[in-house]
Amino acid sequence: MIDAREVSKMYTRGVYALHSLTLAVGKGEFLFLTGPSGAGKSTLLRLLLRQEAPSGGQLIVGGRSLAKMTPSQVQAYRRTVGFVFQDFKLIPTLTVYENITFVPRVLGQGLAIQRRKAFQVLKWVGLQHRMNAFPLELSGGEQQRVAVARALINDPALVLADEPTGNLDPDLALDIMNLFREINARGTTVLVATHDRELIRRVGRRTVTLEQGRIVEGG
Amino acid sequence: MRALSFFFGEAGRSLWRRRGGSLLAVAASTISLFVLGLFLLGGVNAGRILERWSAAAEFSVYLNDAATPEDRALIERTLATSGVVVEQAYVTSTQALERFSREFPDLASAARSMPTNPLPASYEVRLRTALASDHAVDQLATRLKSLPGVSDVRYDRRWIDRLLAVVRVIRGAGFALAAIFILAAAVTIMSVVRLALLARRQEIEIMQLVGAPLAYIRGPFVVEGTLLGLIGAALAVAGLWALYLSGRGPLVAWASGIMDTGDLTFLPAASIAGLLLGGTLIGAVGGGLASREAR
Repeated sequence: MIDAREVSKMYTRGVYALHSLTLAVGKGEFLFLTGPSGAGKSTLLRLLLRQEAPSGGQLIVGGRSLAKMTPSQVQAYRRTVGFVFQDFKLIPTLTVYENITFVPRVLGQGLAIQRRKAFQVLKWVGLQHRMNAFPLELSGGEQQRVAVARALINDPALVLADEPTGNLDPDLALDIMNLFREINARGTTVLVATHDRELIRRVGRRTVTLEQGRIVEGG
Repeated sequence: MRALSFFFGEAGRSLWRRRGGSLLAVAASTISLFVLGLFLLGGVNAGRILERWSAAAEFSVYLNDAATPEDRALIERTLATSGVVVEQAYVTSTQALERFSREFPDLASAARSMPTNPLPASYEVRLRTALASDHAVDQLATRLKSLPGVSDVRYDRRWIDRLLAVVRVIRGAGFALAAIFILAAAVTIMSVVRLALLARRQEIEIMQLVGAPLAYIRGPFVVEGTLLGLIGAALAVAGLWALYLSGRGPLVAWASGIMDTGDLTFLPAASIAGLLLGGTLIGAVGGGLASREAR
């Protein structure tokens, strides 16, 4: 699914956020990216979401090189990727239901499809009863569940999560991780960046450790 | 259709959410188009009045008291063979006094109280419109002035031409002023749309991350600007219409003592359409430029 070959990302001359990183992630695999702050975890996720282009090397996802994509190809690619962030990135003026249907709506999908998909993912994350609430009326765990539901509504082939449990207590963090495990069990490739080693130990999946932009363990 | 519904829905919500800024942008486009419309309205009516005067423009040949029937015959022959005259009519001094009394009743008694009729006999000559400024008319005037029995020759078209030139200058200045206002309106709309864009940067970020087409990201902002411009233009036209309705009667009544204005008219349909389209375009351009920041 993901094939990173000698991928580098340099922001300022001589300072690498990622340095010659080579990594392969199979289709349907669940991978933890871990390491201290500044190790390059978020940079790799940004490259995978094509928010930035690599400075060197090749990054191939689903057989397509991300560096060579045109803007419209980037749009098409992103429709196959779900994302979850530490700060949830929910729109505070929209209800839970509207936040979730926002994705199919801006992709031009019909109302019936939006409704069917929204109910499906809301049921799946267990938040049907909170669909009319606004994000600020929800707990952190619930907000992150909404973010996960939004990431799944387009049935992505790859889910990227950047510190998705960073704002949650350990029990809620495990709940969210269980959701990711379920997503993965349905065949979706999941990549989770976290520095929470205890959580990684409890979930128990393949882990790659980064330090100063290089893989130091599990590559 | 679905995209349009999305654009209009989002634009409508954004306009409502930022009512203060929206009102400011609408006011800017209303004022600019109102000013433009005012000059158009003034131009249309000034043009009509001048056209009316122009059509009635006369070449008047005033006779002196000593003019003989032979002198008049020569004048009539000269006019008839000039090639620029459509119609000529002889007005006696008595007819001139009657007309003066009819048109200026307040001054009639003063004119009649004079020992002799102060108004001379004359020929009122209607010229071919196409030859209004033609050299031939000047030649005719010079020739007539030299004929016996002629005391003066007045050619209305000359001052109408001067008046037309003044109207053209005022209209040009008006358009220049309106252009400045329009630019200001476009900038205001752009700023308001840019504020909307900043307020919705999180939504835009999510749209970008989920791969929404660029049209879906920018479309609502272009529509927002377009609506601001269109509403402003519609209000400007409504304001002009209200001004026309309330001002027409008093203006005509006021001017009637000085000049014959005829009835005043509102802007022609093409100008109204132009104002509405112009407002829409100003808004669309302002919104479009602002939306370019959402990449």
